[in-house]
Parts: sequence; structure tokens; C-alpha cells
Amino acid sequence: MYDLVIRNGRVVDGSGLPAYRADVAVKDGRIVRIGHVAEDALRVVDASGKVVAPGFIDPHTHFDAQLLWDGCAKPALSHGVTTIVPGNCSLSLAPLRAEHRMKLVGMFNQIEEMPLKAFREGVVWDWETFAEYIARIRKGLAINVAPLVGHSVLRLWVMGDAAMDRTATADEIAGMQAVLRECLDAGAAGLSTSYVDMDERLLPVPSRHADPSEVDALAAVLGEYGRMLQIVPEFYDADLTIARLDQLADLSIRHSIPTTFSPLFVNADNIEAVNRVMKRVDEQFDRGARVWPQVQTRPIDISFCFAVPSLLFIRFPGWYRIMRFGAHEEILAAFRDADNRAKLIAEAAPLAGLWPRLVLRHVKFDANRALVGKTLGEIAELRGVSPVDAMIDLSLEEDLDAHFLAAGMGHNDDAQVGRLLAHPRVHVGASDGGAHILSFSTYGDTGYLLGHFVRDVKAMTLEAAVKKVTSDTAAIWGIPERGLLQPGYVADIVVFDPETIDRSVEDFVGDVPGDGFRYVRASSGVDAVFVGGALAWSTDEGYQPAQGEILPGLAA
Amino acid sequence: MGELSRVRRSILPTPGDGWNEIARRELPDVAEADAVSRLQSWNLHVYMRATMRTGGPGNPILPSDVIFVEPPLATA
Repeated sequence: MYDLVIRNGRVVDGSGLPAYRADVAVKDGRIVRIGHVAEDALRVVDASGKVVAPGFIDPHTHFDAQLLWDGCAKPALSHGVTTIVPGNCSLSLAPLRAEHRMKLVGMFNQIEEMPLKAFREGVVWDWETFAEYIARIRKGLAINVAPLVGHSVLRLWVMGDAAMDRTATADEIAGMQAVLRECLDAGAAGLSTSYVDMDERLLPVPSRHADPSEVDALAAVLGEYGRMLQIVPEFYDADLTIARLDQLADLSIRHSIPTTFSPLFVNADNIEAVNRVMKRVDEQFDRGARVWPQVQTRPIDISFCFAVPSLLFIRFPGWYRIMRFGAHEEILAAFRDADNRAKLIAEAAPLAGLWPRLVLRHVKFDANRALVGKTLGEIAELRGVSPVDAMIDLSLEEDLDAHFLAAGMGHNDDAQVGRLLAHPRVHVGASDGGAHILSFSTYGDTGYLLGHFVRDVKAMTLEAAVKKVTSDTAAIWGIPERGLLQPGYVADIVVFDPETIDRSVEDFVGDVPGDGFRYVRASSGVDAVFVGGALAWSTDEGYQPAQGEILPGLAA
Repeated sequence: MGELSRVRRSILPTPGDGWNEIARRELPDVAEADAVSRLQSWNLHVYMRATMRTGGPGNPILPSDVIFVEPPLATA
């Protein structure tokens, strides 16, 4: 008697080899047989017409806080994602002393657009060390977690407030090495750092005050464990990105570690730049380095309202300053003042082409409800004003609760994005899952890969795409016994319909602690998801109590 | 082992580096004021990095900054 048998499915085993028809049997959390399985099982799933694949691995998320109130990382699990990597971009929730909690919340709010209220009302701060944080999230954990240690947080732990404005002394670097070892021993999958991010004061995050010797010393510790270094480079400039990937490549070779940088976007106006970056990636791999560029599958769509800061306006200090630092009434006053309004409009002149394309997607009051779904161009014509004036007027009328959608802001050239995603040295990732929750949905990127790029655009085969988000990711991150359907492997499995898998429409849902909202996309075409052999989610039964693990597991 | 093609030359700052120190070390054959001016023009990501509160330039070189020591290469 097996615990689970999935019968009659089309097995896409994660290796990239052609799919084949077989049953999959599971016992004690592991795959024990793939082929014809006659024996009975406690749970039998009929997967006729469906694909049976390894659970997907998302290597770039910010679910750090959400895991404290939601061990499923909803809705990621329902999309077939069975392993997530939080702690990217120099930010993790541990190790973290009590006096730095609000500092970190501020950075998460600024960089990852996580609401302050969600932290205030959804988080019970009962840990400081990394081991204590791991013990904390293990309670109710239904998804596997491969957590990174944030470099900015590590600096704060060792250097205190000095982490925010100076390089570390030799003793402090040694202290960071010791704490990083403790984190890796407690289950950390690696270290993350950032060269671009700003804190809640719009000053460089602590990791940007590290000199190269500090990063080298921390990479040496990663080398002792063979663990990952993730960075955020200056992705807006090809020369800077190439300089960073050269820096990463040297660290990778010197310390024999895998490294990854994210994001790498491709737009119609930067194809040559992306080609230059990828040429350098190839050269560095040929040299023996491991420098994995992460490319997201979804196009850039940004929603915003003026009640919260939006990264869409970060290039325009007049706008961003008032959104970031202005109280609600100050923002309203800034829009009401004719002179100030004219200055704002002039400053954002580069967005003049964008305003008419913005779509009004949500309002608070009935008076404007009929306008929802129209573009600002259409609304402006109805009102006899300019599109940007229509945007500001609507924001005033709605007490700043008018939401606008800027769709197709980039990374939306299917041919170029598809070419990148299929590149053997591109790591499919950079979803940012759990972050930017008031700007766009960071869930469903795997559905978009398998639905849009495999089924619709045919940029790659189903087998190649599954390999990208399963065994490739497991191999890149050194996660053992996952990412393949093979006897002996842990039974992280997703059953989906290749004809319908996708991401659903973006929805604005109020499920964030503190009466907060977020943009999400429900899964589509995914039938069932198993973590360690246990049902974790299905269309029929919803979320179920599976047991997620901390990966890659205890250090060797 | 593969060969690396030529890319735009850059450095990572050493302790105590400011524009003048980098200018003297990396552009020794150029008058210092001119060298500083060139470095700043090649590194607008640092020189023009605005502090959002003031809205103007002013950030010093950070120890993690990439500093280009030549202009962008001509595209092939």
C-alpha cells in the first residue's frame, strides 16, 4: 500500500527529456516508483490528460514576513510552487536585534513596498537570531523555504547603527563571518546583497557601505558551505551590470560558489544592452564562474494610487518626495495647489506619453464608478481636461483612493523575453513573490511561463520550461533530492493541465494583516500540489496541512 | 578557460578614495582638476546621485560603488 499514487499522467520529470505516460507512487514522503503501478494507495489521483511534474522552485521572493502569518505563502503554493527563496536583496528578517526591527520594517516598506500596518498587526516579534526565526516560521509551514541572509541585516546585527554609514573594521568583518556561519548552520541557503537599494530615508542601505574586502570575506564563508551569493546590480545600465557580474565572477571562482544577479529586463530599446550582458555571462561561464542572471517571465504592469509611494515615480523627486514623506492631507494639498500642481506636471513630462494609456481600475466612491475600466485619455476627453489633470482630479475626488494601471511598461517583447528565458545560462526567476503587493501581483509567473511562453508563443518546449523551474533551479542552488521526478527523490509534485495552466486576472484582495489589500493572481489549470508527498493544495480541497522543510538542509 | 573580451574599464574604490584620489591614481597623466571632471562625467550614477530629501547631488562615493575610469566604449 502506497501513500499516494498519481495515475495515467504525462510525466514531465524535470530533466528536460521528453514526457512519457506513467504512474507515480509515493511512500513516506518520497517517490518510490515511476511506471505501471498496480498496487493501491491511501490517496489515488487520476491525472489522465494532465502533466505530472516536480514542484516549481521560485528563487527570488520576499515572503519573509508573510511566512509569519501564512505558512503556505498564498497563493504561490496553489500555482505549483513548492519551494521559495526569501531573503533577497540584502533584506531578511533575521538575524535582527529588537532595536533594529523598525529600521528593517522601514527598509522593507521602501524597497519591497510592504505595508507598515501589515508588520504592525501581522507580526509577533519573538525571535532575534536566524535559528530562532527558522524555528518561528517552521510552525505551520506548508511550503519549502530556502532562506537567504540579508547582508544589510547582518551588518546591522554586528555594527549597530554604524552599519548605515561606514565600512566595517577587521574585527567587525570577522564578527559578520561568525554570524553568517551561525546562519548557514541554522539552514540559510546563502547571502544576499544590494548595490542599488535605498532605505526608508532614501539613503543607501547598509550593504552599500561595505567595501569589496567585506564582501570577499563573506563570500569566503559561503565557500566553506558551497552556498549562494545573490546580488541586485545597477540593472538599469549595461556597463554597470557587466562590472558587477565581473565582480561576482571573481568571487565565484575564488571561493567556488554559485552566484546570481537579478533582475535582468529586456525592452525594445535595450536589446543590444541585454545582448552585451549575456555575452559577458557566457564569457564568465566559459572562464569557470557561475553567474546566473535571473529573468522574470511576466511583463511589467504597475498599479498605483497616490496614498502610498509607487516606484513608478521614483525618477521624479517632486512626486516621490511627497508620496514618500507627505501625510495624506499634505498630498491632497500638494495636488490642490495650482502652482505646485503645474510644477509636478512639468517634472513628469517624460511620462506625457504614458498618462493617456493609464487605466482607472478602482475607485472608492460611486460617482466615478462608471469610469472604471476607461483610460485616462478617454476620461480626459469626457471631462475636457488633459489626461494628467484627469488623474490628479480623480485622486482628489477619491481621497487618493483612485487606482491606476500602467500596463505593458516593459519586458513585454515576447520574442526577446522568450529568447532570454530559453537561454541555457538564464535562471528563470526574479518573481519578487510577496513584495510590491500594492503595485502588481508577484504570483503566477510559472503559470505565465507554461501558458504564455510554452503554449501560446512556443518559445520553448514544455519539458524545457519545466526543467528551468525545477531541476535547473535545484542544481543552481544546491538543493538536493528535489526538482526531479525520480525514485528516491522527495515527492514535491504538481499536477496541471497543459492546455489551461496560466495565471488568472489580477485581483485586488483584502487578505493582508491590518485590513490591508494586495494584488494577486489565482492559479489556473493547476489541479493538485504535493509537498513531501502530502497534499498541500488542490482545486477540490484548497489548502491542506502539508509540512514544508527548510532547504537545502543542514550544512554538510 | 575562455577569454574575456574588453569591456569598459572600472575600479572598486579603496579605503579613503574620493574623486581626487582616484583621479591621481587612475589618470596620472591628466591634470588633476581635469581628471576629476572627467571621472565625474563618466560616473553620473555616483556624481549625480540625488539625495531625495534635498533633490540635488551630493552623495559621496560609497565603498561599494563601481567607478568607471574611461568613457563608454564605442559600439561595434
